[in-house]
Amino acid sequence: MSQSLAKECNELKERYDTCFLKWYSEKYLRGTGTEQNNECSQLFKQYSSCLQVALKERGIDKLLDEAREELKDSDSTYMSKKKS
Amino acid sequence: MKVFSNTETFNYSWEEVSAANWRKYCPWNEKSTHVIAVDTISRSVDPATGILRTERLITCRQAAPEWLKSMMGGGLDESQVFETSYVDPKTKTVTMVSTNITFSNLLNVQETVVYSPLSAHQTKFYQEAQITALAGGWQRIKNSIEDTLVKRFRENAAKGKEGFESVLAMSRHVFAEEREKEKMGLIREQAGNIRMAA
Repeated sequence: MSQSLAKECNELKERYDTCFLKWYSEKYLRGTGTEQNNECSQLFKQYSSCLQVALKERGIDKLLDEAREELKDSDSTYMSKKKS
Repeated sequence: MKVFSNTETFNYSWEEVSAANWRKYCPWNEKSTHVIAVDTISRSVDPATGILRTERLITCRQAAPEWLKSMMGGGLDESQVFETSYVDPKTKTVTMVSTNITFSNLLNVQETVVYSPLSAHQTKFYQEAQITALAGGWQRIKNSIEDTLVKRFRENAAKGKEGFESVLAMSRHVFAEEREKEKMGLIREQAGNIRMAA
């Protein structure tokens, strides 16, 4: 598995990634993993709270907001159209 | 603005490719040593469409040409990319859109990658990058920056294909092993039940 940019989050990331990969191939791709809350949600929360601190410390959180704004059109291109 | 595009075929099912795609930048991929970290920022399943939406931050380390470094004031060795991806299991499409967050005031690189099935055992990879240099007043300098990045994309594309092939092969191998372990576990369990019943 790949590393986190913050070393202190590596262990939490590893646990979450392992859970997600299992969920993705065993449930999501088989059409049974559509619920928002799943067995990996708690692990993601733990990893995410570690990561958010690291992003803030490095000032990356603001850059991410800008990039998100730049790519916001892709949400409508790749998501809402498919509803029909 | 310059555009780089590239199409590849992988001899694996879309399901295998889309799963292995999440571990594309792992130690199994010896060709992508320029990617040093991949972090998941957010992830959700859209209730209306069933589409899995993921935001990731990708951290790369790659030496930039000296002349570019001196222009941009160093610190160019580490750069970050923000990626939003969409997995649509109904149409069997993975779309990844990314943009650079480092030096975004000097240049803009927008990349789109799409994985879609060609057949039950083959998957198409399509990649397109739009590169626009914003810095410098001289068109000649902008052109050099854009050309350098197009060249870098071309080099990375060849390495990327090779590296992902090894991740796919490894994933298939590990998956088969896990299935085998599960099967053995089941047999042992059944044997235990039979023994208990007897």
